[in-house]
Amino acid sequence: MGHDGRTPVYAMVGNPNCGKTTLFNALTGLRQKVGNYPGVTVEKKIGEAFSQHGRPMKIIDLPGAYSLAARSPDEAVTRDVLLGRRADTPQPDRIICVIDASNLERNLYLVHQILDLGRPVIVALNMMDLAARSGAKIDHAKLEDELGVPVIACEAVNGKGLIELRLAMSRAELPLARHSWDVPAPIAPAVAELQASLVDADGRSPLVARAEALLLLTDFDAVRVAGSTPHSARTATVLNTWQERWQEQGTDWSATLIKSRYDAINHLCRDVIRRPRSAGPSLSDRVDAVLVHSLWGWLCFAVIMVALFFSIFSLAEPPMAWIDEQMAALAAWVQAGMAPGDLRDLLTDGVIGGVGGIVIFLPQILILFFFIGLLESTGYMARAAFLMDRPMSKVGLHGKSFIPLLGSYACAIPGIMATRTIENAKDRLVTILVAPLMSCSARLPVYLLMIATLLPSETVPTTTKVAIMFGMYALGTAGAFGFAWLFKRTLLQSAPAPMILELPPYQPPRLGEILRHMVERGWLFLKNAGTIILGISIVLWFLTTYPKHPDPAATPDVQIAASYAGQAGHLIEPVIKPLGFDWRIGIGLVTSFAAREVFVSSMGVIFGVADAEEDIAPLRDTLRSATWPDGAALFTPLVCVVLMVYYVFAMQCMSTVAVVKRETNSWRWPLFQIAYMTGTAWVVCFIIYQLGRAFGY
Amino acid sequence: MPLCQLPAGFTGRICRLTGDESFCQRIREMGFGEASLVTKISGTTTSLCLVNGTRLALNHDAARSILVEHLPAGAR
Repeated sequence: MGHDGRTPVYAMVGNPNCGKTTLFNALTGLRQKVGNYPGVTVEKKIGEAFSQHGRPMKIIDLPGAYSLAARSPDEAVTRDVLLGRRADTPQPDRIICVIDASNLERNLYLVHQILDLGRPVIVALNMMDLAARSGAKIDHAKLEDELGVPVIACEAVNGKGLIELRLAMSRAELPLARHSWDVPAPIAPAVAELQASLVDADGRSPLVARAEALLLLTDFDAVRVAGSTPHSARTATVLNTWQERWQEQGTDWSATLIKSRYDAINHLCRDVIRRPRSAGPSLSDRVDAVLVHSLWGWLCFAVIMVALFFSIFSLAEPPMAWIDEQMAALAAWVQAGMAPGDLRDLLTDGVIGGVGGIVIFLPQILILFFFIGLLESTGYMARAAFLMDRPMSKVGLHGKSFIPLLGSYACAIPGIMATRTIENAKDRLVTILVAPLMSCSARLPVYLLMIATLLPSETVPTTTKVAIMFGMYALGTAGAFGFAWLFKRTLLQSAPAPMILELPPYQPPRLGEILRHMVERGWLFLKNAGTIILGISIVLWFLTTYPKHPDPAATPDVQIAASYAGQAGHLIEPVIKPLGFDWRIGIGLVTSFAAREVFVSSMGVIFGVADAEEDIAPLRDTLRSATWPDGAALFTPLVCVVLMVYYVFAMQCMSTVAVVKRETNSWRWPLFQIAYMTGTAWVVCFIIYQLGRAFGY
Repeated sequence: MPLCQLPAGFTGRICRLTGDESFCQRIREMGFGEASLVTKISGTTTSLCLVNGTRLALNHDAARSILVEHLPAGAR
């Protein structure tokens, strides 16, 4: 490898949450997301590192897997890359097996399978600090001696062992493993026949073919992923013949093989690891006694959520006020420096009114991501999944589905991708279908604008606003649970699936990592404001300004009603009027299909253009004074609530639609998702508005 | 007895895995196979267990399909 001048390809594999991505980032200088819970990496990531001699090396960071017998789509990616089944990824020349040293035997199970592939392997014995803290003593030199491959002790988080690992990776030749284990005799003929077929008909090398034969013969439910090359007809026939024969005989070779591997591993570890005879409860045990307690656990969960929402309002207020002042000063400066006309209006109403209206919410977005970062970094995410398992089981899912749902509070896209860790295909699809109902960060500006319009800061205590915000998040979560229950009983029926989820030890929050993630998300928010939202704001300003009304003395309201946007808005008004919305809100609903926060910038543009005064009032004040043609207030408290509820339920995100299409490999499910979510939004809003009106609101 | 019925704070030895073959294979691969020792930390509907030093959460369906024999304190 590498002798032919080609850049060598390394694959980085290991159990979930063993520190692969931290090591990958340290070697490549990239900044892939890390977290202290299983399933952060669900797709392969490719980066470039350099050897000690400055030669480039390609590294593929693969999703965590407990075994090459994949049980979920993310594990299938790992298996298929290692077996050379992916047409879009080169088969790795060398493999770095990352091991959590604090859980040696279980992590060695995957290593044991990988050594069967006959490829050069380096073992990175990571988290040595955690192992030492638990009192375990690991002789890594002895492990190297037993396995016959380089074993490097490291602590990826602290940067320890990286030089030694890079040195090992730079070696021109790596020894092949000398581990040996005996395939049970009764299964040997089947392995040999299948191995021969894989070599002859599928073009595998003999060693890879042997490892793959072992997997295929004992894999009951091989998960297929798009991009994997199917086996030849001959191999499929051989496989079916043997599996049917064993099924008739009632023989479970899978259990025998696993036991055989663990026997070999236990033999290997006998002289490698020394554990204390008895250890008292660890810090994680003591914290778990509270955080997963049937009463205290829920109380802590509620406190965390309330603290999050309270911070969003109280901590964000000063920086928001500052941004607001700067935007107003900028608009005033433009107004003072330019002659009246369309160009000035474009800058003040289109650009500053649109983009400025959304940038003001940056502090709250940063606070949201700070809290989510804390939960991910400390290990609390898995505990939340544990707590939520019981309510999730009532709707037919299990706690593992809650991790993607919790992640969807930040953004539905990574949440939907995180469903790849769910083994049951129907449970995964149900989770994908309901994940966008969890209130994401893009809804935050809409909620905040409506709460500000509904409740003036000077008269209403923060707790009331927190309660409304909490209510919207709770409504979205209840909606997700309700629809999951419905789908599991109708479209996607399946028996309850067993769940097993590893709870990692608690770690102190990695503040640097959290701050970096906050900055990345904040930058992404600003980038969207400067590109998509700016573009939509300019187009919307044009559509609300042209064609000009024939009467130059027409009021702004008459002018905007005659514009292209006004004409289009009036077409859709009959559909949304039963919800209390006029055509201007309708334009906001349509434009915000690009992204929910576009609603805020659209309101800034539309009501900025329609504002007869040249003052720079905050958007909430402009909305409060907006009226219907008969002079009745448009943004009544009822309409503000109905608008928030609409955004809780409606599918208003093109990027999510695209990701659902990719993850389900069809247009059927994203179209169904748009229909059921937006349909629900309309019906629920109709009921609330009409009941509210009947009760005199 | 099924693991879900093992009282919190007690240790059991896994004697049999029942239910879905695919699930049985996975938990064996995670070191949760026959003859392994498992300590129940808490939980009835969802169980929190300690196996080989790893904390694992199992939902009711999973814990019900793992049969254990209750070990007296001195036998561990």
